[in-house]
Amino acid sequence: MTEIRDYVAPRSLADALRVLASGPATVLAGGTDLMPQSRAGRVRFAPTLLNVQGIDELRGVARDPGGVQIGALTTITSLLEDPLIRDRAPVLRTACDHFASSQIRNAATLGGNICNASPAGDTLVPLLVLGASVVLASAGPEGIVKRRLPLAEFLVGPGRTARRTDELLVAVQAPLPPAGWVDRYLKFGARPALDISAIALAVGGTLREGRLEDARIAFGAVAPTAIRASEAERVLSEGPLDRARIDRAVEAADATIRPISDVRASDWYRRELVHNLLRRVLNDVCDA
Amino acid sequence: MATTTLERTNTDSLIGRRIPKLDAPDKASGRTRYLHDINIPGQLHAKILRSSQVHARIVSIDVEAARRVPGVHAVITAADVPWQRPIGVTKDHLPLKSDIVRSRRDEIAAVAADTVEAADEALRLIRVTYEPLPVVATSAEALAPGAPLLHGEDLRAPGRGGALEVVHPASKDNVAMVHEYRQGDVAQGERDSAVVVEDVFWLHYVTHCCMGVSGVIAEFDPSGNLLLYSNTQVPFLHKREFAELLGIDPGRIRIIQPPIGGGFGSKLDIYPFEPIAIFLAKLTRRPVKLVFSREEEFIASPTRQPVLLKLRSGCDSAGRLTFRSVETLHDNGAYTSWGATTPFVMMQTISSLYRVPHCHYRTRAVYTNNPYAGSFRGYGNLQATFAVEAHMDKLADALGMDPLEFRLQNAQDPGETTPQGMHFRSCGFKDCLRTAAERSDYRAKRRANLAHWNDGNPIKRGIGIASMLHVGGGAKMYPSDGCGTIIKLDDFAKVTLITGASEIGQGSETVLAQLTCEELGLPIDAVTVVNNDTAITPWDVGVHASRTTFIGGNSAIGAARKAKRKILEAAAPTAGLAADELDLHGGSIVVKATGERVQDLGKFLRSLHFAEKADLVMTTYYYEPPSVHLDRQYRGDVSAAYSWATQVAEVEVDTETGVVRLLKITAAHDVGRVLNRLGIEGQIEGGIVMGQGYALTEDLLVEGGVIKNPNFRDYKLITAPEVPDVDVSFIETFDGEGPQGAKGVGEAPAICIAAAVANAIYNATGTRIYALPFTPEKVYRALRGKSTAPTWPESAA
Repeated sequence: MTEIRDYVAPRSLADALRVLASGPATVLAGGTDLMPQSRAGRVRFAPTLLNVQGIDELRGVARDPGGVQIGALTTITSLLEDPLIRDRAPVLRTACDHFASSQIRNAATLGGNICNASPAGDTLVPLLVLGASVVLASAGPEGIVKRRLPLAEFLVGPGRTARRTDELLVAVQAPLPPAGWVDRYLKFGARPALDISAIALAVGGTLREGRLEDARIAFGAVAPTAIRASEAERVLSEGPLDRARIDRAVEAADATIRPISDVRASDWYRRELVHNLLRRVLNDVCDA
Repeated sequence: MATTTLERTNTDSLIGRRIPKLDAPDKASGRTRYLHDINIPGQLHAKILRSSQVHARIVSIDVEAARRVPGVHAVITAADVPWQRPIGVTKDHLPLKSDIVRSRRDEIAAVAADTVEAADEALRLIRVTYEPLPVVATSAEALAPGAPLLHGEDLRAPGRGGALEVVHPASKDNVAMVHEYRQGDVAQGERDSAVVVEDVFWLHYVTHCCMGVSGVIAEFDPSGNLLLYSNTQVPFLHKREFAELLGIDPGRIRIIQPPIGGGFGSKLDIYPFEPIAIFLAKLTRRPVKLVFSREEEFIASPTRQPVLLKLRSGCDSAGRLTFRSVETLHDNGAYTSWGATTPFVMMQTISSLYRVPHCHYRTRAVYTNNPYAGSFRGYGNLQATFAVEAHMDKLADALGMDPLEFRLQNAQDPGETTPQGMHFRSCGFKDCLRTAAERSDYRAKRRANLAHWNDGNPIKRGIGIASMLHVGGGAKMYPSDGCGTIIKLDDFAKVTLITGASEIGQGSETVLAQLTCEELGLPIDAVTVVNNDTAITPWDVGVHASRTTFIGGNSAIGAARKAKRKILEAAAPTAGLAADELDLHGGSIVVKATGERVQDLGKFLRSLHFAEKADLVMTTYYYEPPSVHLDRQYRGDVSAAYSWATQVAEVEVDTETGVVRLLKITAAHDVGRVLNRLGIEGQIEGGIVMGQGYALTEDLLVEGGVIKNPNFRDYKLITAPEVPDVDVSFIETFDGEGPQGAKGVGEAPAICIAAAVANAIYNATGTRIYALPFTPEKVYRALRGKSTAPTWPESAA
């Protein structure tokens, strides 16, 4: 383990950002990834450990003009219980329901899951389908500076994000889906609880007159980051949702993904799962 | 739950009741003090440095920097304990390795320090240089011509007099142990057969995953007597082994067993960490505590024996089994522990689960650079049963017979003695088969599922049946298979039951208390059980072979009956009746015929104690079961009773993902008699879930000698949502030798789940999978024709 020289637990965002501005720090939120990864030697601590749990302003789900804003410290359990998420963004709720175990959901935060940037991160796939952005804050000469970045641009590689070391992810912002929106989420692993996805997928769109308009498809664990399958989305948006179009969308998705082999699945099997489960999910939307 | 049972005449009887385990409230509320919670004043904390190489020569070990870490009291290597002696079943294994490491778990050095952190820091500073040697990764590689010999040199260690002697001679090949059994003439069996099937099966690595990780505390007193706080399942055998290891008299070793956080067979052998803690305690003259990390528990615990098994079976046109021929390669790992002796159990299933006139069985346990295999609940029987029950289905299919009918036709009956010499005095096998099949509607569902093979629905249902035979009355593997009991009654009719039988979570404490109280007519809370200190408890061979209820139970009953006789004989004169006209009931001495109360038992005991000819009621009993050792041909009635079970598995197979969901297990167990209904239900449900993990999710991935998933994230135990519906029926056969008619059941429920699931997957999909576990990708590959079945290696021909 690396030596941690300073442990800081600020109460305000401004204080936290000042710490980040002053030098390298490891951010601790729920700790459900950081602790096991550091114990296993996969994460090296920076000299400062910045515990952000005391910053209450980073907690909670609220409507905003653009849709919904979710504080980075909102736990997975809070998301699971939030009525707005339940009613307007069920795809995120379903993903939270498949997230690890109750104990871990009570501690793990949305911001932590995003910044961990695992290709298999459970909340990433539904957030991509919702078209979410992240809000990053840093200390500027005139006070707090915030910038917004689409989630797809924030995720750079396995464990890597576009967050600068002086920045803190403070919130997730997502538009709320329009009327007629349908979505599906599917996490595939070896068992129903306490598992890491072999693959995950989510589908969303507005079902209108037999077409899936503004179709969105996202995958987890089949590329270096969670990804949108834009080519498959385009295929779906071009005409009525029928078996032939679904087959073409599945082919297009196959061209997008870049699965690897690891202890959880081989690349071949991951492709087969993407084929079979995307087809199954789209057929289900089609039949609905 | 269903039970076929006799009408009970005594409604106050404790037998068959639902009695919560005596240790449950403490465990459920976190009050139990496990070994991990015990700290001895002045104790040091020990840590072990393990090899970073799978197979290598140790060139040098530099411990100087480690010795300088503040708080470090000792850093030892093999050079510091030249007197160390080998451990293990064939004594092929020195606790600290001096010249060669043969697996990634191998112990090179150990540290004792004031704190765990200082010990860890010291470990990091030890520098080892290695010269890598070629890795033997499979048993097939180990048998190949020119394979490196893993124990090709004599292992020498100092004998009693101090002079070096050969303790394990050099082996010419990598074969650690061979077991071969024959009955009848297999060639004749082949000639008598209308159908013959042959397959190769691969039974994979799994490990026990005890919630309480391994640990020990070792302490010497000023006279050199050793006190061990140990999680062993066999304290009396280990007392003797540790004495040999240290070259001291066994009488100078005392083992105390704090409550054990899971055993399942993993604690039957001595592992290097135990002698290492003892060495450190001896050298530092301080108590030394050594506790594994979870990762260490995965890496340095024994595994279930991985087995490559070739089975050839036949039957005649009338559906009678004709012969069975089995050859196995057991991947022994780098050293020999109990895993190499699982053939003792496997050949029982091969020869005697069903009636087979001609059998041949041969196992070679082969050294590799893999983790070494120990004993694990079921002891080879999961592996043997998996293959045998696959062939029962395949033979029935080939004949066009219903698989249940085929099994009933070949099943054992009470009274039979098999060619291997097992005598089935009680045998509810056919009742198990019929009950499990009827309660699951096996016949109708099996036929219905077949009709859906090609219906286009990607989700298939399947049902499969499998049965098992296991020892249920101990197993005479040692000079004695007995257990001793001491009972004392105090002045208030409270009983202390001092038994050699260890509690490892299986519920023996409760059952033994129950059997004792049943004899003495006392409520269950009148008993205190003492079962964890070799300085106090009488000898017992240990917790294994599903023996504790049977052997420890008979021993407790024996001691209780002696106490009862003494009380009634002493009470007879004052009661004016003969002793056999009296009884103990409800805490009193009563008239047997009428139940009329003669005297309060406590009051009577006080009158006995404080009389002129003062006396206490204290009795002892040693029970030795009427079983025999196997002879050199592996024949003999090795257990005093045999247990049977049939389990029917219902599954759902998603053919587009390969996911197999276990929906329901319908089980029927011949348990002799239900003693504690709550306890036996728990034990059977737990065993079923363990079998489910073996069948579906648990897979210790060993590649090139390296464990790829030494953690609970990637080694997948069954979680609560996966646990199937369970319907258990108890077949009560009232075994004549069993305590109150009961037989052992500890291992039984885990044994045939995987076999039943395999048959269910076949019934669902028409695909038979020959390698465990049935993880989604493996099943999917098999369904798509993309998998290769296990094959028998040329090198093993």
